[in-house]
Amino acid sequence: MAEAWIRGKPVTIKAAADDAARLLGASRMPVIAGLGTDVAGARAAIALARQVGGAIDHMHAAALLRDLDVMREGGMMMTTPNEARLRADLLLLVGPGLSRAWPELPARLLHAVAGKARRIVWLCGGADADTIGVPVERVGTDAAELPLLLASLRARCGGRPGGRSAYPLDALAADLAKVKFGVAVWSAEALEALTVEMLCGLVCDLNETTRFSGLPLAPGDNAIAVREVSGWLTGLPPRTGFGRGDGEHDPWRFDAARLVDSGEADCAVWISALSPTKPAWRRPVPTIVLAQDETLCGTAAVAFAVGRPGVDHDSVSYAPTTGTLAPQLVERASQAASVADVLGRIAARLPGGGSC
Amino acid sequence: MLIRLAGGHVVDPANGRDGVGDLWIRDGRIVDPPQGGAADETYDVRGRMVLAGAIDIHSHIAGSNENMGRLLLPELRRVEHPGHEKPRGAFNTREIGRLYAAMGFTTVVEPAVLPHHALQAHLELADIPIIDKATLTVLGNDDFTLNLLRKKESAQAVQDTIAWTLATSRGLGVKVINAGGAEAFKENVRTFSLDDEVPDYGVSSRAIVKALQHGVTALGLPHPLHVHCNNLGVPGNVDTAVATIAAAEGLRLHLAHVQFYAYGKEGPRGFSSAAPRLAEAVNAARNVTVDIGQVMFGQTVTISADVLRQFNARNSAKPRKWLIYDGDSNGGGIVAYDYRATNFHNAVQWAAGLELFLLIADPARVFFTTDHPNGAPFTAYPDIFALLMDRDLRAQWLSRLPQEAVAVTTLPAIARKYSWSEIATMTRAAPAQLLGLKDRGHLGAGAIADVAVYAPNRDRAAMFRAAALVFKDGTLVVRDGEVVQEPYGRTLTALPPRDAAIERRMRDYYMDRYGLTPEFMAVAERLLGPRATFEGVPCRT
Repeated sequence: MAEAWIRGKPVTIKAAADDAARLLGASRMPVIAGLGTDVAGARAAIALARQVGGAIDHMHAAALLRDLDVMREGGMMMTTPNEARLRADLLLLVGPGLSRAWPELPARLLHAVAGKARRIVWLCGGADADTIGVPVERVGTDAAELPLLLASLRARCGGRPGGRSAYPLDALAADLAKVKFGVAVWSAEALEALTVEMLCGLVCDLNETTRFSGLPLAPGDNAIAVREVSGWLTGLPPRTGFGRGDGEHDPWRFDAARLVDSGEADCAVWISALSPTKPAWRRPVPTIVLAQDETLCGTAAVAFAVGRPGVDHDSVSYAPTTGTLAPQLVERASQAASVADVLGRIAARLPGGGSC
Repeated sequence: MLIRLAGGHVVDPANGRDGVGDLWIRDGRIVDPPQGGAADETYDVRGRMVLAGAIDIHSHIAGSNENMGRLLLPELRRVEHPGHEKPRGAFNTREIGRLYAAMGFTTVVEPAVLPHHALQAHLELADIPIIDKATLTVLGNDDFTLNLLRKKESAQAVQDTIAWTLATSRGLGVKVINAGGAEAFKENVRTFSLDDEVPDYGVSSRAIVKALQHGVTALGLPHPLHVHCNNLGVPGNVDTAVATIAAAEGLRLHLAHVQFYAYGKEGPRGFSSAAPRLAEAVNAARNVTVDIGQVMFGQTVTISADVLRQFNARNSAKPRKWLIYDGDSNGGGIVAYDYRATNFHNAVQWAAGLELFLLIADPARVFFTTDHPNGAPFTAYPDIFALLMDRDLRAQWLSRLPQEAVAVTTLPAIARKYSWSEIATMTRAAPAQLLGLKDRGHLGAGAIADVAVYAPNRDRAAMFRAAALVFKDGTLVVRDGEVVQEPYGRTLTALPPRDAAIERRMRDYYMDRYGLTPEFMAVAERLLGPRATFEGVPCRT
């Protein structure tokens, strides 16, 4: 089983690491993207980006930053999946894509927990709500209706005129004010930023008189864990560049797709150890691929097959069940190199390297 | 390698030393002057002050709440000249270690780790260079403990719970934060005092604190129960602090960031400093220790697991943004805040903290903190040291504050100035003792060679900001305020007894309540990387 390739030709990891280091060392604007990896892999990726003065971006940064922008520009109330499960007497599901974001959502949140009566209202759930397998009250069908629906609902909850609506929003607003502990659930991958902001504003408003919180579902490929690692190591989230000083965060400037498509990036590292995801770039760029799925490796300048976190080696990742970073310890690690291993080897071959 | 620090003024109150002399280091430890031995390396520290490395017992440096604080205020990192200026806040892990070391601090305690987030806290700590670290694990708003108390289970059951939770989270001690308040807030309670009861459980805040205090004492944990009282920030809350001190009933208790509880309701604005009354209560209670939580002016972010308090403070946020996290037990509240010298309330807070420092008589029972970042980032420490040591400097600051604020404090009248020996007691000897650490906080033979050397300067803040020399375990890490080496320190943890019965009980509890095994919360060392080393601190038996 091949471990590494140079332009599709199987080579040793050592030879591939040499080539990758050569490419990165010579590049002027490298970007380390995808970042579908565990905590150790994220640490190594960020260290490497700093070392080469490059930028970091996560494949789901757009969704990640949608929630983060609402948090850091206005605020948010959040709770844990288990508090939602144990305590919520009303779940306000918002928008589509919930079971895609968290496949265990029906089992963990929607099926009755012993002795707990709860009401489930789903706003604009679309096809997702059709197949959820649990009785829910549905309001609205299409996600496009959400901005107006949420605004009208928020106005009514605040005692302000909310306009006419085909939906029973007066009754719903009255009910929301009477819950004991309500939890709104959404997936930023499926919503616009202003929709998320309106929903979070509604949640905050409801807390003037009762208890209500929010459960933002995490984007995939360990985005939240990567956000956390980026936060503690650099002080900043993904879409940050290290070309000057110790990190500048700019979601537009350091969008990997924009960097590649504009020609600004002259070298890319693509990491996808958790899913077989390819970059969706429109311009070719010399790419160093670290992938769980060998089919991603064929056309890259340099590629490495990496192990699956939590299967081939120990890992720490975001666990949607607990809403925390959690360990996955492996009884017997396989021979497969981890993302952290591979990036460490590359870093060691570059000036100032090997500290990870 | 034998190192000699020659001719400095050694201030080591734990060993009765306060005068000019040499300090010898060998293989990472302080040693007695060798008989006829020649040093491999000599540092001329004549005219300089030589102290043990400083110890910070309460600073929010690691964990998911701290990380949300960073992510909430990226603007604290924006500087005119990237790479040439330090950020004002939202420090990353590397900056935390380096900035602390530059000031001569060598051990820092993260005081509020949520048990379900302990792994993240330790991952972050593992990335903080130079300093030694420790954590306090939060209990008292968790269903398990509250249930024990509701069902009137034995004191042994509480002890076992503490032991299990500390071991799983690799904590050094126990923290309780507005006991019962976070849980009560989930039930829509909006104020919560010492004798209020948590809905459903019917257990009072006082009862929770007492149960944990007894458990910590019975286990012989090195650090006393560390208490964040109810009613933080509320005018008139000096009553709460005084009542909590009385509730200690002669047993050891540590009260955190008491400046935030030093408020009266006097004066035309119904808000005043009640620091003298609080200081008197602390002075009279020899079993009680406090850390100050000094406020200093500037933009910061408040990070606390006192969810109720942070929710109530949300409308004062500056800039107007905040996060409230209803966690599985305690959660988090992150509220941006800007303390301004022109603001009446902030000016009173600033003065009250200094009053407490100066009116609490025993430097071994008052601890130097800003509750980083809640009162101010820890980078404000040098300015605080300067204020404590110089009455004229305090007068200068006071002259720029709203006089109506000054009028409701007693600070102008206080002449006391902290001596070097008192600074060394407060920031070295006493914190080491409070944490049960015999190997530091002093410069006697056998101590680890954590040493801070300061070059006297009329600008004392500048002196404390940039230590002349700092050694960590005998390795030179700072020279003239610049980090020259970045070794990684150790994490100190308690060694509570492990008991199979509580392990089984907790496993059953987690399966029953969550449908999960408790593995998700265990801090497995092998996940922290090669830099993370742990050292146990024994219980007193």
